[in-house]
Amino acid sequence: MNKNDLVKSAELLAQVSQKSASEFASKRAHLVALMNAQMTSRPDVLELVGPGNVDVMTDNHANHALFLESIFNQHSPEILTDTVLWVFRVYQSRHFHSSYWNAQLTTWIEIYKIELSPQCFTEIVPYYHWMLVHIPIFNQLAENDLTPPPSRLIHHND
Amino acid sequence: MLNNQLNHFTCDYLENLLIGHRAKCSVIAKAYLRQNPSIKDLYEEVFKAALYEVGRLWETNKITVATEHMATAITEGILNELFDQIIPKRKLNKKVVVACVENEQHQVGIKMVADVFEMKGWESFFLGSGVPTNELIRFIHSTMPDILAVSLSVYFNYSSLLKMMRSLQIEFPNLQIIIGGQAFTRVSHDTLSRLGNVVLLPDLYLLEKFIDSLNNPIKILS
Repeated sequence: MNKNDLVKSAELLAQVSQKSASEFASKRAHLVALMNAQMTSRPDVLELVGPGNVDVMTDNHANHALFLESIFNQHSPEILTDTVLWVFRVYQSRHFHSSYWNAQLTTWIEIYKIELSPQCFTEIVPYYHWMLVHIPIFNQLAENDLTPPPSRLIHHND
Repeated sequence: MLNNQLNHFTCDYLENLLIGHRAKCSVIAKAYLRQNPSIKDLYEEVFKAALYEVGRLWETNKITVATEHMATAITEGILNELFDQIIPKRKLNKKVVVACVENEQHQVGIKMVADVFEMKGWESFFLGSGVPTNELIRFIHSTMPDILAVSLSVYFNYSSLLKMMRSLQIEFPNLQIIIGGQAFTRVSHDTLSRLGNVVLLPDLYLLEKFIDSLNNPIKILS
């Protein structure tokens, strides 16, 4: 599976309703706070994110929720795929363990199940299932991107 | 366009950016302008290309966020150095307000946009990043610009852009708004249509054509 296949699979995700997108936006700060509390209290947090990376992880959670809010307002399969891939590249290069992604996404789902209305939960959870089932692909594509030829500019001038 | 000689400038500029040699970066920018006096080319082919590469190096953990910020700060400083060279003799009675979307921290691109308007004889009000939408609205009421230019670099802030556009279009239904920035490199027509009556200008060359069409509408049409 390549990036184009991921984009095609993301095209199947239904646009979230305005009502649910607004509900998510209104609760976003609270959801992020719960997420950070749960993840930082895990005994295996340093194994998941690597030493010295807990603050980087909490930044990621804030950015994650902000980004998903944008996608829930306006679904864009290409932007969703590109951005998730970008996130994998950024955090893998900073030595996050590949098991972090599963831990992160399942924790979001557990929190949403409690904190969001059934309608909102039902509409947004497919996006999380989509990310979860494609973790191995994202891992692989990000890994490939992290070992490119030298910088395009510098290479060009060789 | 980027030929081998100019590409050499870009590489030199990038290398000096990454080690914090502001003076050398300034020398490279001025040397570029002696070979090719186009400020737009300097901005697009040297500054923008180098800063996109800086972003890629940060993304892959080859440089720290501190180095990334230093590179941006050096480039902003050089834009200020060059400002005297871009002001035309003839000024038009036109105004533009340029700002980032609320929460957006990357302002060097929109600073280049402000400079291109200045080159074309407009008075530009560069607000940069960190201006809340309600304060932006107050500023527009006081300056009454012909155009508002808004930049979005990181797609994380797209929902902030949506809210901002809704507020602005209610407050100023006739104000022409243009948008640009790295976040728009892959947006679809659907995404743009949600933003209302805005014009997307993805680079400085299209921005220049757009300004020319406003400055010389008859000449452009003929």
